[in-house]
Amino acid sequence: MIDFVNVKKAYPNGTMALKGVNLHIDEGEFVFIVGHSGAGKTTIMKLLLREEKISSGQLIVGGHDLAAMSNYKVPYYRRELGVVFQDFRLFPKKTVFENVAFAMEVVGTPRKKIVRRVPAILNTVNLAGKQDSFPNEISGGEQQRVALARALANNPKIIIADEPTGNIDPKMSLEIMSLLMKINKLGKTVIVVTHEKNLVDYYKQRVVMLKDGLIVEDHVGGMFQ
Amino acid sequence: MKRYNIFYFIGQAFAGLWRNGVMSFASVAVLMSCLVVIGGFSLIVKNIDLNLEQFGNLNEIVVFCNTEATEEEIVAVGEQIGKLDNIASIRRITKAEGLAQMKAEYDVYDDVSEENNPLPDSYEITYVDTEKVGELDYQLHQIEGITKVNNRLDLATSIESVKSGVMLIFVWFLAILSVVSVFIIINTIKLSVFARRHEISIMRYVGATSWFITLPFIFEGIIIGLFSSVIAYFAEWYIYSYIETMVMADLQMISILTFAEIKNTVLFGFMGLGVVAGIIGSSISLSKYLKS
Repeated sequence: MIDFVNVKKAYPNGTMALKGVNLHIDEGEFVFIVGHSGAGKTTIMKLLLREEKISSGQLIVGGHDLAAMSNYKVPYYRRELGVVFQDFRLFPKKTVFENVAFAMEVVGTPRKKIVRRVPAILNTVNLAGKQDSFPNEISGGEQQRVALARALANNPKIIIADEPTGNIDPKMSLEIMSLLMKINKLGKTVIVVTHEKNLVDYYKQRVVMLKDGLIVEDHVGGMFQ
Repeated sequence: MKRYNIFYFIGQAFAGLWRNGVMSFASVAVLMSCLVVIGGFSLIVKNIDLNLEQFGNLNEIVVFCNTEATEEEIVAVGEQIGKLDNIASIRRITKAEGLAQMKAEYDVYDDVSEENNPLPDSYEITYVDTEKVGELDYQLHQIEGITKVNNRLDLATSIESVKSGVMLIFVWFLAILSVVSVFIIINTIKLSVFARRHEISIMRYVGATSWFITLPFIFEGIIIGLFSSVIAYFAEWYIYSYIETMVMADLQMISILTFAEIKNTVLFGFMGLGVVAGIIGSSISLSKYLKS
């Protein structure tokens, strides 16, 4: 599903963010990508989202060679991904329903299908009954669940979560992680970028550790060392 | 390929205009003013053309023969004129015809009869090339039997030079005002993009195409253009009608087109210019989104 082959990434200012990463992620896997600041986690996110291009090596996601992908194909590629951010990135003036529906509107989903699907997704993330609330009327954990619902809206094969528990309390963090596990069990590949040791250690999934732009550990059922 | 609902984009465009109300208002006001000025100059040029036509035969020269000339001499003058270059047509006006024309125009000549007719025979000549009229004038003066050559070269030259001057100013205004209009629309759309940057970044992550992101802003430009053109049309109507009434009352020598005759040209011209300015302005401010 995802293949990094000797991937290197240098930024225009000379920073070498990745120095030769080799990583294979199978379809349906759950992977934590961990590491301290500057380890290269954000760069991996940006490369997966095709926000940045690799400098050398090869990066294949879902059969797409991201280095060779032309810019006009990027939006269609991103529809195969669901993204969750630390800061939720919800529209404050849209309701929960509208926030989730928005992801479907931008890809041209017919209104009838949106009206049918959004409540079902909200049910999956335990937000049934909150669809008319605005983001400022719900808790941080609930906001992150809305973001998760939006990531699921277009039924992507891969979910990428960038520090999904960074802005919520520990109890809510467990709830979000449980949801991500639940989504993984539905057959989605889930990649969680985090530096929260407790969560990583608790869930005992595959852990890929980055340090100075290189993978230093990769263990199934691993711990955040 | 899935079809998007056009009303979604138009709705987003109106929301954007509302969100940046002050700048949208400024854009409409500036573009409207530019259109009124551009339209004003176009109408001046159009009216000059109309008056030039009505002055009619500015490419006409009248030559008068010697009053003492015999019929043969007068005919000979006509033949010599006919041999010159740059002659389009030639028509003889006998002294009797000349008198009849004068009597028809001015009733004060009632006491003048054929017997005491002081008018000479004349020829009305039209020429082909205005630029060579000086040469023709000289050649006519050289023909024996011609005592006077009347041409309207000075008048034609004056009107042409006024028209050229107005055209030059018009072109300058058109260029400058177009740039100003496009520039202000660029700024309005940039503000709109800035206000929606958060939304745009999310759109990108969920797979919105560049066109999906940029289309509302293009519509925003088009709406500014259309709105400005309609207001400009009514403003032009009011101003032009005022001038039309004034000219008709005080300057009866000058012909002026009525607004009813030109209203469609003005309306569709303004709409075309407004929409083009709107599209160009928004496209320039969104060029980086269209590229990526």
